[in-house]
Amino acid sequence: MDVSSRSVEAYARLDSRDRRLASLVVGSVVVAFVAAFVQVSQGSYPTPFGVTFDVLTDPHILFNARVWAAILTGSDLPEWLSRSAVIIWSLRMPRVFVAALVGVNLAVSGAVFQAVTRNELASPYILGVSGGAGLAVLLTLVFFAGATFVLPFAAAAGGLIAFSLVYAIAWQGGTNPVRLVLAGVVVATVFQSLQTGLFYFLDSSAAMKTAIAWTTGSLTGVGWPQFRLAILPTIVVVPILLLASRHLNVLLLGEETARSLGMPVEYVRFGLSALAILAAATAVAVAGLVGFVGLVVPHAVRTVVGSDYRRLVVGSLFLGPALVLVADVIARLALMPIQVPVGVVTGIIGGPYFLYLMRRHGDFSEF
Amino acid sequence: MSKIDTTPQTSDETDGSERTTDPDAKIHASDLRVGYPGLDEPVVDTETLVVPEGEVTALVGPNGSGKSTLLKALARHLDADTGDVLIDGREIAAYGSKEFARELGMLSQHGSTPEGIMVEELVGHGRYPHKGFLEGQTEEDREAIDRAIDLAGIEHLRETDVSSLSGGQRQLVRIAMALAQETDTLLLDEPTTYLDLRHQLRVMDVIRTLNEERGVTVCIVLHDLTQAARFADYLVALRDGDIYDWGRPEDVVTEGLLAEVFGVEASVEYGTEPRIIPKRALDE
Repeated sequence: MDVSSRSVEAYARLDSRDRRLASLVVGSVVVAFVAAFVQVSQGSYPTPFGVTFDVLTDPHILFNARVWAAILTGSDLPEWLSRSAVIIWSLRMPRVFVAALVGVNLAVSGAVFQAVTRNELASPYILGVSGGAGLAVLLTLVFFAGATFVLPFAAAAGGLIAFSLVYAIAWQGGTNPVRLVLAGVVVATVFQSLQTGLFYFLDSSAAMKTAIAWTTGSLTGVGWPQFRLAILPTIVVVPILLLASRHLNVLLLGEETARSLGMPVEYVRFGLSALAILAAATAVAVAGLVGFVGLVVPHAVRTVVGSDYRRLVVGSLFLGPALVLVADVIARLALMPIQVPVGVVTGIIGGPYFLYLMRRHGDFSEF
Repeated sequence: MSKIDTTPQTSDETDGSERTTDPDAKIHASDLRVGYPGLDEPVVDTETLVVPEGEVTALVGPNGSGKSTLLKALARHLDADTGDVLIDGREIAAYGSKEFARELGMLSQHGSTPEGIMVEELVGHGRYPHKGFLEGQTEEDREAIDRAIDLAGIEHLRETDVSSLSGGQRQLVRIAMALAQETDTLLLDEPTTYLDLRHQLRVMDVIRTLNEERGVTVCIVLHDLTQAARFADYLVALRDGDIYDWGRPEDVVTEGLLAEVFGVEASVEYGTEPRIIPKRALDE
């Protein structure tokens, strides 16, 4: 009897963390929708909110096969659309969708790397992705100046190559979180220096701006092609990582414990890292190196729902897009007509978040 | 009563690596050499180690004698350079990862406990080797978790956040997690180090009960020789990576052993309980 009353209590307590997760999810969805709504209605050609609302809820547009074809295959939008509808559906909406995908991928990737490296201050870029992607972008801009269309692939490939290099350096008949992080520092430092050196070989300020947009992360000018590029890996990787959350929980117990519990640690760690790198590379390919999202989001979610990855991954999946959407609204609209890279804004939001944590905990060792 | 007692022996004839070993040896290691990358000399280099089935065996020895390394090799945390380790007559390398974790549990000295998770959930991770990739918690899992929590005597902590526990309570929770694995063999690496006296006794009690009531074979590294002599059925004394002596505590713990292995001049008395009174450290 005592046992059953205790399990009822346990159930009630489980519920409270699930309730907090639910509030987080609902809150994130509301914030994301508000930000998206502002983003699609405002700009150099502002649409009144009423008109925007009508365009977004018009069933003739929402259930039109040609509109869907335009989004999914890149064909032309039907010509009967109003000017507002065209601007919203062909220019501003894709940016919202890409921002959301970037948020999803970075947040989930960061959550996984925080478990794999057992470091709550890890980001998706900790295993060299940023160095590799940045260097690849700069190399492309310097040596193939006209080929901007290959930049997404160059960035993703650079990130993946850097990750492989990090793993190869860290491998010594096996690996461990500390060696992986150190190898990440080695690769990132060298690649970052090479990348900075290459800036001096850029011969136009336009190329310079492109390079900066890629290395700080920008959503300026993204369209449905970027959405199509990012959606495929996202719908493969994210569900797998959601299903793997129980394994992430076991990995968090430490290598020796995970091994004692029968986990093939090296395989699981490599597999999860590879999936998380794929998610990070997806975000990098469409938006460049947007900083802080992958670090702040899982961390913030953890303070709300605890470190159980079954909740943490779900929470990150919703808070990530909300953060990137809000940041991108600021990046695009705050200093009109100048647009700043979204990575600048996420950095400006992300820094003070840690200041807030320091003040609240009063002690960094509690992280 | 206990599930473990009825589990059939897994040393099936189909396995080619089966050897003949002592009939009562749960673990049998031979010609074992274990080292670390970057070290020339092996840390453990010993001919034969037997962990008798259904008994409590304690590994003792001074710092650096290779006790933990030996235990890690038995638990497959370290790969031996040479030699064989058999469990139930079957080579440990022949087991799959989860299959091995259903046979043998290992409580490492270091393990982290993430915050924001309840005792019950942490203990639940002990069921990991019994589940498939996507399988959720079954009734059987819940029963095993209840048994483990009950045996470890942490029922009152069930819904407590792990991060708010004391070091001693945390160790009992980690033991409960290993118990939820429901293995026939349990290895423990210095489970009482850094604990206060009361929790040391609690931990030893739990292990004793596990051994007596469920017939689990225990192999435990202990720092404290008196505790080991009082607690274990068998002692294995290690010196410089090799087994110096093996047997019943009263046969192994002698003034000679203390001088030769531990470098300590001491007097040893056996009344109802062994008493070791260390006097001074001998020169190297």
